[in-house]
Amino acid sequence: MNSSRVFPPCFNAIARWSIVAAIALAGAGAWGWYRFTRSEFVELTGYPVEQPVQFSHMHHVSRLGIDCRMCHASVETSSFAGMPPTYTCMTCHSQIWRNTAMLAPIRESLDLGRPMQWRRVYDLPRFVYFDHRIHVAKGIGCASCHGAVDRMPLVALNQPLHMRWCLDCHRRPERFARPKELVFDMKYKEPADQIGLGRRLVSEYGIRKLTDCSVCHR
Amino acid sequence: MGKNKHTHESVWDEGVSRRRFLQIMGASLALAGVGGCTRQPPESIVPYVTQPENITPGKVKYYATTLTLAGYGRGALVRSDMGRPTKIEGNPRHPASLGATDLFMQADILTLYDPDRSQNLLRKGGIGTWEQFASMLIREAQGRPGGRGIRLLTGHITSPTLLEQIAAWLRANPEARWHEHEPSEGFERAGTKLAFGRELEPVYHFDRADVIVSLDADFLGEGPGMVAYGRQLIGGRLVRGGRNRMNRLYCAEAMPSITGATADHRWALSPSGIERLAAQLHSALNGGADVPDRVRAIAADLNANRGRSLVVPGPRLGAPAHALAHAMNATLGNNGAAVTFIEPPAGGTDVMDLLDEMGRGEVGVLIMLGCNPAWTLPPEAGFGEKIRKVPQSVHVGLYRDETAVVSQWHVPMRHDLESWGDARAYDGTASLIQPLIEPLYASRSPHEIVALLMGDTGARPYETVRRHWRSLAGEADFEARWEGWLNEGAIANSAPRPVAPTLARKIGTEAPPPQSGIELNVRLDPTVFDGRYANNAWLQECPKPITKLVWDNAAFMSEATAGKLGVENEQLVELKLGPSIVRAPAWIVPGHADGCVTVTLGYGRPWAGVVGNRAGYDAYPLRTFERPWSAAGLSVARAGGRRRLACAQEHHRLDGRRLAREQTLEEFTKNPARVAADELMNPGHAPSLLPKDAYTGNAWAMAIDLTACIGCNACVVACQAENNVPVTGKEQVLRGREMHWLRIDNDSVDDEIVFQPLGCVHCEKAPCELVCPVGATVHDEDGLNLMVYNRCVGTRYCSNNCPYKVRRFNFLQYTDKESESLKLMRNPDVTVRNRGVMEKCTYCVQRIRRARIEADAAGRRIATGEVTTACAAACPTRAIVFGDLNDARSEVGALKREPHGYSLLGHLNTMPRTFYLARVRNPNPALGKTKA
Repeated sequence: MNSSRVFPPCFNAIARWSIVAAIALAGAGAWGWYRFTRSEFVELTGYPVEQPVQFSHMHHVSRLGIDCRMCHASVETSSFAGMPPTYTCMTCHSQIWRNTAMLAPIRESLDLGRPMQWRRVYDLPRFVYFDHRIHVAKGIGCASCHGAVDRMPLVALNQPLHMRWCLDCHRRPERFARPKELVFDMKYKEPADQIGLGRRLVSEYGIRKLTDCSVCHR
Repeated sequence: MGKNKHTHESVWDEGVSRRRFLQIMGASLALAGVGGCTRQPPESIVPYVTQPENITPGKVKYYATTLTLAGYGRGALVRSDMGRPTKIEGNPRHPASLGATDLFMQADILTLYDPDRSQNLLRKGGIGTWEQFASMLIREAQGRPGGRGIRLLTGHITSPTLLEQIAAWLRANPEARWHEHEPSEGFERAGTKLAFGRELEPVYHFDRADVIVSLDADFLGEGPGMVAYGRQLIGGRLVRGGRNRMNRLYCAEAMPSITGATADHRWALSPSGIERLAAQLHSALNGGADVPDRVRAIAADLNANRGRSLVVPGPRLGAPAHALAHAMNATLGNNGAAVTFIEPPAGGTDVMDLLDEMGRGEVGVLIMLGCNPAWTLPPEAGFGEKIRKVPQSVHVGLYRDETAVVSQWHVPMRHDLESWGDARAYDGTASLIQPLIEPLYASRSPHEIVALLMGDTGARPYETVRRHWRSLAGEADFEARWEGWLNEGAIANSAPRPVAPTLARKIGTEAPPPQSGIELNVRLDPTVFDGRYANNAWLQECPKPITKLVWDNAAFMSEATAGKLGVENEQLVELKLGPSIVRAPAWIVPGHADGCVTVTLGYGRPWAGVVGNRAGYDAYPLRTFERPWSAAGLSVARAGGRRRLACAQEHHRLDGRRLAREQTLEEFTKNPARVAADELMNPGHAPSLLPKDAYTGNAWAMAIDLTACIGCNACVVACQAENNVPVTGKEQVLRGREMHWLRIDNDSVDDEIVFQPLGCVHCEKAPCELVCPVGATVHDEDGLNLMVYNRCVGTRYCSNNCPYKVRRFNFLQYTDKESESLKLMRNPDVTVRNRGVMEKCTYCVQRIRRARIEADAAGRRIATGEVTTACAAACPTRAIVFGDLNDARSEVGALKREPHGYSLLGHLNTMPRTFYLARVRNPNPALGKTKA
């Protein structure tokens, strides 16, 4: 039996196009997977995280003008930026908004001596060791990683925390370095010549391009 | 599949069928894909309610305190991570530590967090309350005027406060008694009583001696002064910086010990042989002519160094031998120079009286404080029966042990790291114990128990200790002085003045007659001590020096003795002494004395805990009150059957290569560079295809001086504590799967043991890096060979290509991730590894990085000596030195220029950063190089 009878001539075209279609489909699939894994859905960026008390950074930072270090007190001295003890909240809230329902968990925490349990937003894997102190000391602003916290009613993850994202800066720190005294300035705007400023600061502060594994993994 | 006892992880039993294998593999593959997609579980940040002063979250602090072993204190600086003690370092200002530690101090951190620690007060085996207990004790104390029938039993106590409390209690209750039973105690006090007519404690000063004779004294591996003694002895043996003077150490012992391995001359003699040697040496020093040549040679050496020599009697020798040694030191003019004597702390009366009273039913209340008499007393004591005749028996201890289960009451005891207290060191220096953590359980301190006997229910140990020291030091400026003592970790000038005793009478010199049968030699175990550390997995899995056994003890004997008895390794033998019979596996130890069998205490415990239960055999039944440490007339017979023993000696061997290098002082003086000139050890001459790296920043390196290494294992356990290294259990060790990053190889040069610590040597041209398919092991700019756990897929190619065999693979989930208390113990700076990843020594990269961040933030270089590794910090003899080769002032740089330095397998051109200094020995030319 002749095969041309089973497959009419038009199948020649279909066969050729099916190859193209398969490649295109595979490409689309790969692109889709790439987009999906880098989507906000997977990376969890931009999703505000519910907290036991709906603490608004926007209110406290923008409206009241409280400095980051009022609550994150060890950010300049320790690897851990520090979370305020209940006592810090109550220094003000024993005087103002004393009876709001919203602050009931804070009052309860102080009354019972039971610590608050805040949900972690920036959750690095356990095999990554990050140190706030050295980044602050070398002129990396809070907003470079944490975003415009002063405009967040509830804090959301601002960056995906991929290793690639860390390395972007570690390879070219001049793109983000700012004068040390402006690290905590939430209104800071990058100058037009950020690269020029960055290069100057890199040499002035002795910023090294640390990309060795042991910098973060131990 | 089955469950591994130690790791709670599934393991494959032998003989999985091919079909089952494929099923499991298929399922794993399918699950592996899904498993990669999980998110991290949500995590909380839990701040303080009120933050304590002086605590910065994320920063560590160090506190000075004291850890006790058999009552004696050793100073420690304990790292506190947010209120959790996580690592113990030595305290440079404490005389028994001098900045270093022994292995027990390192392992104390695991005992603190041991999930098996007793957590509840027990009354007749059920849960009781402190109030019930206190009311019982007060009722009893009131109902027994003068303390009639109330007895206290303890181990050794040096705590000045506790001794004062007990003395006050005895003064108030003249009919009460305090008894003491310390299973690790030798005949030191009995020996001084015989020699000087009073009980004294000898304190040795090896730095003041040029010739030292050890008569069965393992002063480097045992006893409360071992760290200081190691520092002193090795200080007189270092040939660095052009110095070529060494002290000389002779050692006679039955069971090879680390002191014997360090000695320049060693003789294997049975216990009675050592006593004979003592008599011969004494006779030779007093002009006796009828002695063997070698004894005459030692005597001549001692006589040539009068006033700068030392004869050290082992604590386990009988009192007459001790007296002989003291007499010899007196003859040589060493008393008051290389050996001084101090008054010992007050002791309780003998436990025999207590046993008699218990047998007669005269004891109404027996309080056993921090001791375990039900297990450590000889069988002739009949303790198990006599305790039943005591209506109110109280055991206070860290564990629900053998004594707890036969007592009416059990009270959990505070660990040293949870307590306020004080202790004296081997030289009498007092220091304070301060708590590093709130008590984990409802435990009680011995100070509270004794206060309760006096009717004080609300005693607080902090106040008790302060009151005692306030009464001693006076009111003037007390607060400042107290703060100073806590800060220093030692109380200056608190050691008692040395006394100058005179020999009470002529010491008998008749040598004991030679023994015909087999002798018994009893020793403390080198890692679990007298059994109190039996539930400490770090110490169980720490290879014992010399034998390299783990998780077991054995009946140790020489090859000749084993041949005579017709037994081989692991065969069970029956040891019979009087009415006692013990079955133990035989183990042949090269260098063991013929005609005697050594057993070690501390194993075979029925109530040690999950870790220690049923490990090894119990040798306590072979002891008697009269001869607890050696006895004649042991009968040994094959018992049939075997017990597999896990020995780490042959694991990770670098076969067929001569590695540890050794030379005599004479050879070294003639040609210091002889070892380095050896082509096998000569690095960097062969051309390399790999690009030459320039390390311009820090070039971290480690020097290991084999002359200084005494093989004490402090570094091995320190590494385990610092780096969250898991234990694997006996079954896994039998497969060669122990996880220690640092091991101590026993290398044998001319039948002499040379200890060679070996971790990753951090090759500049690392063979492991070339074969890793995923780049999980790479170099950093300092020249460290890194292990990136999160990249590792577990091919194990790196380990196969490592010529030093220093890489360890997590075949199973060895780290216990479930026990809550163990989570508190882990070093938060080091990743806790999971199954399936390779790991190895990192040169404590977490410490380097911490220092680097400190330095970078301050805009300076890392200072000289700012970083050291856990092993180097723990080393009593400073055999391990870590530092920066690019730092002109670093000690490691100076050592690198020493002529007798060499690289291990240097001819492979791996350019390791760890280098060794060849061992130098100082044998007596009159005795020749060979050992008798």
